[in-house]
Amino acid sequence: MKRITLYSLASLFFLFLQTVLGQALSIQHIVPDFLLLWIVYLALREGQAAATAAGFLLGLGIDLLSGQDGMLGAAAFSKTVAGFFAGYFYNENKMLQILGGYQLIVLIAVASALHNVVYFLILLQGSGIGWWAAIFRYGIPTTAYTAVFGLIPMFGFARKYLS
Amino acid sequence: MRMFLHYLSTFKEYFLFGCCLTLSVLLLATNDNAQIKAIRTMTVASVAFAQDMLSFIPNYFNLQRENKVLRELNLSLSDEVNRLREARLENIRLQQMLLMKEKAEYEYTAASVIGRQFESLRQTITLNVGERQGVHEQMPIVTAAGLVGKVVATSPEYSIGQILMNRDFRTSARLQRDRIDGIAVWEGGTDLILKNVAKTLEVKEGDVIITSEYSTIFPPGIKIGIVRSTEVLPGSLFQSIVITPGVDFHRLEEVFVVRYQPDSARVALERKSGGS
Repeated sequence: MKRITLYSLASLFFLFLQTVLGQALSIQHIVPDFLLLWIVYLALREGQAAATAAGFLLGLGIDLLSGQDGMLGAAAFSKTVAGFFAGYFYNENKMLQILGGYQLIVLIAVASALHNVVYFLILLQGSGIGWWAAIFRYGIPTTAYTAVFGLIPMFGFARKYLS
Repeated sequence: MRMFLHYLSTFKEYFLFGCCLTLSVLLLATNDNAQIKAIRTMTVASVAFAQDMLSFIPNYFNLQRENKVLRELNLSLSDEVNRLREARLENIRLQQMLLMKEKAEYEYTAASVIGRQFESLRQTITLNVGERQGVHEQMPIVTAAGLVGKVVATSPEYSIGQILMNRDFRTSARLQRDRIDGIAVWEGGTDLILKNVAKTLEVKEGDVIITSEYSTIFPPGIKIGIVRSTEVLPGSLFQSIVITPGVDFHRLEEVFVVRYQPDSARVALERKSGGS
């Protein structure tokens, strides 16, 4: 119970970080996806079910905060898929090794790419914007920027793993 | 039942995954629900409050560029103010000569941009004015440089504006010089596209694009941007016109919400007849 409360508080913090402080780190409208970092961490730490649920709830939070009509559920859907995917890499025995290794960055990049593919597929329905254009203009830079921020926890866990 | 529970326990991850996806799809299908709108209003208010508190945090990546742009803008605005002053005096003289009444202007509500959501294709801004200041959904947002977007969500004290760089942006637009009509849309990147303009019509670089009276959201005559280039689409009767927006969305700090409500009788009639 205590752990769920802690994770819930941390999730709220990441939602706050994404919506309030994300802008301060934006480069040409590209913002790192802190929520995805947290979802991948939960997937590696707690498994597929926790990451799936967190993906859905955090995505829903972002959907609500975006204030857009017609697309409530798009981020919830795509972050659910990303959380479920990342959950396949849950391994209790190698948790620290994955969190502190290059595998974390690869997983963040792949989960972020998957998230963006699904997200744009939904978001671009009925719009004149090309899917490939959106992926190249926003998807790939967001994935790269998010992966760069993934280096911070990676180095932290690497120190813990080596000590 | 026990069998079902056993399967549920064994495949709980897949079950949860299916439930979450189903819920997401249901949400996508029932967006206009009043309760969902109420929840959205509450979240908008709470996050806007937090953004307001932290709006002093700058984006360091943009500061240098912003300073340069501001200096250039300052020079060009000083020049423009002088020219506008002259034009205004001339206008007054001409109006007096023709005994014309000055056309009534719209009411404006000044607002500060306290937050920005640049979430790839759903770019929005948060404003520190809301329903208490008379701001409602669908009201246009402008600056001196031109059209910024429209209000898409409100709470008593805050509102969210959808900027032109948004997948949902689409409005009737017109070339100021030739009165040629088209539809301005955003298709990614930093520019807008003016569509549905016949390729036989002459469009020049630098032509000003304004909103037209065909729009049910934006009042006519607001500058959207200037023509950067034109492209004749092969096998099409139309040309694609690239517009550079008048507003620099990277350094948006102060805006005005136009308290403009379209003629409700016209909107109702257009909806009834299937128009937009």
